[in-house]
Amino acid sequence: MSATGIIETQTLEVSLGPQHPSTHGVFRMDVVLDGEYVVKLKPVMGYLHRNHEQIAEKLNWLGSMPYTDRLDYFCSMTNNWAYALAVEKMTGLKVPERAEYIRVIMAELTRLLNHSCAIGFLISDAGAWFTPVLYAIRERELILDFFEAVSGARMMCNYMRFGGVRVDLDDATLAMARNLVERWPKFLDEFEALLLGNEVFAARAQGVGILPRELAVNGSISGPVARASGVEYDIRKVDKYGVYERFDFRVPVGEKGDTFDRFMIRILEMRESVKILQQALRDIPAGPFIASETKLRNFKVPAGDGYGRIEAPKGELGFYLVSDGGAKPCRYHVRPPSFINLTVLEDMCLGQKVADAVIILGSIDIVLGEVDR
Amino acid sequence: MSNILGKGLVEGLVVTAKNFVGSYFDGKRKYRMFNYQYPEERMKLPENSRTFPFLVYDGTPDQLRCTACKICESECPPQCIYIVKDSDANGKPLQRPRVFDIDTSVCMQCGICAEVCPFNAIKMDCDFERSAHARFDDLITHLPVLLKSNDYYHQIKSAEATRVDATRKPVKKPAAATAPTAATPKAPVAVAPAPAPINPMPTPSDISNEDERAAWQRGYQSAIGDGEIVWPPPVVVKKKEAGTKPEQSVTNAPSPAPSSGGAPWHDSGLDLAKRMEMAAGRALADKLMAAMAQLDCQACGFDCRGYAESLAAGATKDFSLCTPGEDATKNMLEKLLKEAGKL
Repeated sequence: MSATGIIETQTLEVSLGPQHPSTHGVFRMDVVLDGEYVVKLKPVMGYLHRNHEQIAEKLNWLGSMPYTDRLDYFCSMTNNWAYALAVEKMTGLKVPERAEYIRVIMAELTRLLNHSCAIGFLISDAGAWFTPVLYAIRERELILDFFEAVSGARMMCNYMRFGGVRVDLDDATLAMARNLVERWPKFLDEFEALLLGNEVFAARAQGVGILPRELAVNGSISGPVARASGVEYDIRKVDKYGVYERFDFRVPVGEKGDTFDRFMIRILEMRESVKILQQALRDIPAGPFIASETKLRNFKVPAGDGYGRIEAPKGELGFYLVSDGGAKPCRYHVRPPSFINLTVLEDMCLGQKVADAVIILGSIDIVLGEVDR
Repeated sequence: MSNILGKGLVEGLVVTAKNFVGSYFDGKRKYRMFNYQYPEERMKLPENSRTFPFLVYDGTPDQLRCTACKICESECPPQCIYIVKDSDANGKPLQRPRVFDIDTSVCMQCGICAEVCPFNAIKMDCDFERSAHARFDDLITHLPVLLKSNDYYHQIKSAEATRVDATRKPVKKPAAATAPTAATPKAPVAVAPAPAPINPMPTPSDISNEDERAAWQRGYQSAIGDGEIVWPPPVVVKKKEAGTKPEQSVTNAPSPAPSSGGAPWHDSGLDLAKRMEMAAGRALADKLMAAMAQLDCQACGFDCRGYAESLAAGATKDFSLCTPGEDATKNMLEKLLKEAGKL
């Protein structure tokens, strides 16, 4: 005690990660704490850097496709799509209608598995150690079984090709997809019953980690994080890429932008995804699943540049490619949603307790494969 | 009612309890039990499932489909395939690999090798139970390990293998037709030169010569082939038009015989010098075709005839596209094109 009778305190620097159960991979938060409150937070990344962009510039166009699986390894299907879309924009390849539907089915199933697991891990961060996330992983496994039956691999699907997809959906796999879609609402009901009314979770999440709308826009935040803050921005609606304009679905938007909103937005988005899936599986036309002009070898892209972006489960995933007319991209850049959403982490965490920093990070939903590339 | 504190908690606990009890009773709910008791119980893998690549052979292991055209080697994104073409005692190149190594520590199981293979020779396995004692050498799979029979392929991927067999049969017929001596009904078997037994596979440690060993190891990191190809690709000239060969290329020669006389050199068993001898005095396109590897592997984007005609017509400028022919073909094509004033 000092002479004035006030306890002299010091800030404490804590390094959360890179080996820490809360950090969703090898990610570190350098947190400066005043008591229990965060006064400064520095995200430290790069532990998983694999030189993806440079490697892609040394490979031919198709060669990077399996590497995109490894960006956001939860959502390889959407990664494939974003890359294929960028190349298709540059070459003008027309994607057959059936392939567009297959892509929508794959992307929406990816959204289901990503959101359910993101929520599961968020609850896990809040202290419900692994029961909810195991329920989510159990359901995810069924989708992964479907992906394996179609593309050959559970996670590293390498499924999309320029101008279509690699393997067609036959009756058996379509039936599998229908089963999944039929099953999912029941699981969502169960999941909601488990979590939605939970007072402990509500107390932990409500009013925590508020991201104001202005900051979300200024920070170019996208995906569920932005929509939870009230930014009505969904590339499926804005760009209408693929055949998304044919489907009837709504974009849920949050009010407060706190952790609870980000949790709720994902639940609601899954409901919408189920709707899209039902329509896509009902309307899927017959026909070719890959454009006839597509070729695997000696594939060249006319000189120029192109940016293809899609609404990946985590936000806007974009590929900016520059071609000099050769067999390899001359510049290859990824706009990863996780990485850009992570930039507002400090603003969301300031003034919050250190335990809340953990669930705020969980509510952003990052995958380090994509953050570090 | 809804504001009773703890109601949500209790509801959640009911869900957990249901799941807990439900996990013991499979009951009416499909998919309730999720676990397989692994070594005893195995999940049936879907047909598309893929792990590491293997090489398919028909019948006996020396009848492997791989012709060592090196397309997979150049297309493999992580560059984990290393191939050396085989040759017989006289140094004549054979259409099969002497060395075919796949570094499974590098392989990312993307399946692009199987997709690009024009011979259906390399396919994706679904054997996921692999282990090795050492980290580097043991993880490099050599040719004898990679070779698996077509029967095995049928066993793991029956629909796909049946599809492949259906597409393969017509491929053999033209090969038999072009061969001059084929007359017996068992044409494909009779025509094929009696396959020499596969040499015991050398490994890098067997090689005493330092430089050679270094070259082998460098092979794994070899850069991807970067051919200059015109885009969009020129239309492939049909074989039927071969009779109406443009003769503008050879002006002073006394009316070279048109290529309607077939292509006796179209036999990958012949070596380059012999093939060039057979094509002597023919039109430029014929000579160019004779310089190629005669595999119709389409590594260049055409069959051998198509590529030759495209080069002769000037539609394709790059003469380095014949991957299976390696440098010998490339140098010969350059020489021929220079002689004809095309370069």
